[in-house]
Amino acid sequence: MPPKSDQADDKRQAAREVIDILQEISDLLNTNLDRTELSLCVSLIENGINPDALAAVIRDLRKETGSSKRVVNAPTVE
Amino acid sequence: MSNPARNPARARRLDDALSQLVDGLTPALPVSAIQHEDYADQEEALAAAESQRHHALMERAWRILDTHASTSGPDPGSPAGLGGRRGSLAGAENVNNAPDLIKRKLRRENVSPDKAVRFSNLYSRLLTQPVLSQKWGILFLLYKLSASEEPMEEGRENGARPRRNTAIDSDDEGPAVSSSASQQHHRVPVAKLERQSSLRHDINRDGAEYAGRNAAERPISRVETGTNDRPSDENIRASSPRPSSAHASDPAKLSGSVEYRLLRDLPFNLQGLSSSNLQFSSSSSLKLPSNLSAPITSLLNTLAEPCLLYKGLSLFVEGSDGGLVNQSLRSAIAVELRAYLSLVATLEAEIRQALAAIGDGTEPQGVRKGGVTLKRCVVWTRDATMALRLMSLIVEEAQSKRGGQLISLIHGFSTSHGDPFVCAFAEKLLAHVTRPFYDMLRLWIYDGELSDPYKEFFVADPEFRPKTDPRRIATSVWEDKYKLDDDLVPSIITQEFAKKIFLIGKSLNFIRHGCGDSAWVEAYSRKASKELRYGDTATLEISIDEAYKTTMARLISLMNGKFNLFDHLKALKSYLLLGQGDFIALLMESLATNLDRPANSQYRHTLTAQLEHAIRASNAQYDTPEVLRRLDARMLELSHGEIGWDCFTLEYKIDAPVDVVITPWASTQYLKVFNFLWRIKRVEFALNSTWRRCMTGARGVLGNVEDQVGADWKRARCVIAEMIHFVNQLQYYILFEVIESSWEQLLDAIRKPDCTLDDLIEAHTKYLNSITHKGLLGSASSSRHGSSTSTSAKQPEESFLSQLHQILKFMLAYKDSVDGLYSFSVAEFTRRQELNAKIETRGAGQWGVRSNSRGGASSASTPDIRPDSASVDGVNTPLSLSGPNFAADDNMLSSLRVRLRELSSEFRSRLTVLLGDLSYQPDVDMRFLGVVMNFNDVYEIPKRRKAASATARDKEKEREKEKEREREKAKRRAAASSAATGSGAESFVQKEGRRERRDTGAIDPGFTSGNG
Repeated sequence: MPPKSDQADDKRQAAREVIDILQEISDLLNTNLDRTELSLCVSLIENGINPDALAAVIRDLRKETGSSKRVVNAPTVE
Repeated sequence: MSNPARNPARARRLDDALSQLVDGLTPALPVSAIQHEDYADQEEALAAAESQRHHALMERAWRILDTHASTSGPDPGSPAGLGGRRGSLAGAENVNNAPDLIKRKLRRENVSPDKAVRFSNLYSRLLTQPVLSQKWGILFLLYKLSASEEPMEEGRENGARPRRNTAIDSDDEGPAVSSSASQQHHRVPVAKLERQSSLRHDINRDGAEYAGRNAAERPISRVETGTNDRPSDENIRASSPRPSSAHASDPAKLSGSVEYRLLRDLPFNLQGLSSSNLQFSSSSSLKLPSNLSAPITSLLNTLAEPCLLYKGLSLFVEGSDGGLVNQSLRSAIAVELRAYLSLVATLEAEIRQALAAIGDGTEPQGVRKGGVTLKRCVVWTRDATMALRLMSLIVEEAQSKRGGQLISLIHGFSTSHGDPFVCAFAEKLLAHVTRPFYDMLRLWIYDGELSDPYKEFFVADPEFRPKTDPRRIATSVWEDKYKLDDDLVPSIITQEFAKKIFLIGKSLNFIRHGCGDSAWVEAYSRKASKELRYGDTATLEISIDEAYKTTMARLISLMNGKFNLFDHLKALKSYLLLGQGDFIALLMESLATNLDRPANSQYRHTLTAQLEHAIRASNAQYDTPEVLRRLDARMLELSHGEIGWDCFTLEYKIDAPVDVVITPWASTQYLKVFNFLWRIKRVEFALNSTWRRCMTGARGVLGNVEDQVGADWKRARCVIAEMIHFVNQLQYYILFEVIESSWEQLLDAIRKPDCTLDDLIEAHTKYLNSITHKGLLGSASSSRHGSSTSTSAKQPEESFLSQLHQILKFMLAYKDSVDGLYSFSVAEFTRRQELNAKIETRGAGQWGVRSNSRGGASSASTPDIRPDSASVDGVNTPLSLSGPNFAADDNMLSSLRVRLRELSSEFRSRLTVLLGDLSYQPDVDMRFLGVVMNFNDVYEIPKRRKAASATARDKEKEREKEKEREREKAKRRAAASSAATGSGAESFVQKEGRRERRDTGAIDPGFTSGNG
């Protein structure tokens, strides 16, 4: 989002549209990315990050936090 | 761990973004996570832990990114150029294929194609956006993220993962380990447990894998990733969401090979050919092998549908019976089948490719890998199956339909079916199927030719002519040559439109064949003919409207110009409807002596000679020879005992094209009217001549016998005047009130600008109907309609015509009796003359006349029969006449008197009945006739009682008022007619004269009686 906000207003409008479209595609594909995350990813990729690698990162982060969350929840359930 | 070589600003931006992303993905650490730590300030501890974790995660993320970069590209961080990115990826085509990958994935995972379609839409929208430069990359990211749910792992990742695993492991246990790190160790067993219980169901193999990794089970994870390269039981089990591998390994192999064989045969089956596994036992059944598992059997059942449908349809396509529309349906279906075959060919190519890709094809995995399964074939042939189903439905329904009905059927599918696919498909078919129909239509509306060998057009050429309508017994080119068949009007054309089209073609045909003007038709068709096609309804309508206008205008102008229709109508009116008064009067005068003779002594040549004479001596001579040529006088069929008056008729010959309007039925109607009018005319003529004789005789002959028959004459004159009044009123009514007003209406209708031939015919028929109806010639239908109230009270209703005939007959009989009275008077007169003469001759010396010779019936035959009673009783005493000597004469006179009295009373009663009927007619004009005849209430009309006397009285009052009004109207009319002398209509003048004559006559009897 930051790189986008730097740009002019009309660009921002266009960017919002793009994000809208991408959001829909992402919903179609069940990626579980929310809007903020999606726009962050977009800006990262626009800046030359390898999408494959980014995917790996996100998955990795999900895994980490997912497992930690589960552990955190577990005691409260028991 | 940022790359120092990187542009610092971009690096910072990347760092920012990544850290935000990490923040977004990691949930806040719950307080519970650190509750057992001994930090005094929990919040501080939490913040510290979070930042700690954040840091760790960031580190890890960068490491992954860098690992990727180092493994797959020399400079991952280089500015995002296409080349750089391509280089940085293991398979560049993977990134570029991202949309395809996504599409394929969506299609694979979802039964319905709508998600894929939605994606395609979104993707095309995305392509138009200018903002992004790395659309593929983002899509690929999304694809990867979604693919992360799948067990499928790219082999390419294998290199990365072990290293990543180690990195993360070391990270977990590294020096940065803090309270949270120890915490992780603490919770591992629990996580593992839970994973085993629940995560398996989620088919989240990654999760499982990582669980294993956390417990330092790296070998397993290696094995697992390794298994992804080669198919194995593990993989099969893991890929359980895939449909075709829901079996254990052995059955999977078995079913795989069966599926492979089935797949190999499938293209042939889809073309309706038997294969070793699937055999067509008959044209409508397909035999499945019995040893298959239930899922495959059900798949095959689904696949069998297109096979069978195709087989049936190809049979239909090869047939050759049926009409043109049927054949075009056949060809349209053939085209569709070709499209289907090309689909089958593509499918076959896919299958072959897939089979070739796995070599011998015995490995079940190969089938799957190739991307072609039976299930997928089902999906691929789904649309085609729908189309085939629809076509076979149409074919089935088409068996019993032809032409327009078939088109209506398909059109029904295209307009009122809910499924857009069906609509579009039927529309496509319709374009083909309607082609012969439009060809026929074109030929019909531009050439007026019906080219319809299979009777499919909605205009039919009936071989047998149904004679249901008695009015059109005679076949007419216009009415009966073609017929509109409502059943065959296709629903693409409205009924009204079909009628128009029918009229156009009929008119053209009529112009060509009936009017002999084919040159114009050909020129017109050359000029106006244009291609008609299904779809552009607006153009079609416009061109048809144009054609309609042109042909109708042409037809009317032909009728007017070439065939003189209006001249004929006028001639009919002036000759057959007695419009030409001088002509009729002359004709009647010259024919009168002739026609008094019996019918069988009438000769045609005398009739025609008299006709010629009447024409030449009257204004009729100025009519066109074209019209006069057609006028003819002849006798109707003779029947015994009739005299010439009864069977004389004028005839107006109508030939070919005009007889469409003046149909044979119309001609007979004209004749009917003419005969009626002629009869009235004749009665009038007879009464007038009698009247004239009376009047002239009154001054001479009759004056002398006044003493004997004066009273009789007085009465006779009264009655004759009454009759003349009646006849005159009747004639006036028919000629002016009925014929002239109807003629006006006819002219109005004809002169309308957009008048068609049908309108003409209709107007003319209406004209004749109103004449016959109002002119009291209407048969039962009209009179029954009017006097329904009276029918019950009276004897079976007599039609006005028969009533009038009766009255006219009485008039003639009365006239004969009066003639008898006249001759009696004359005989009496001559007798007296002779007697006087005798007396005078005798008067010389000898008195006394011998009276013994008067025994003969006709006393006048012998000069000396007269008795000299005159000298005895005085010449003029009536006593002498009623003496016994003249018994025979007395008999004759008294019988004459009785007859005259009877006839006159009969006449009066008949007339009263007629007037009673007339006054209850619904038609104002007919009521008017009744009032005109009885305007001074001479005749007492029997009142008809209604059920309720009160209402009847009211009605009576109303009727009285109405009578008043009509009486006034009549007076006004009379005044107007007497004022309008110079109107030019001969009959009018003649009528006027007659009226005056009648008036004088009406005065005369009174005058004479007053004198007497």
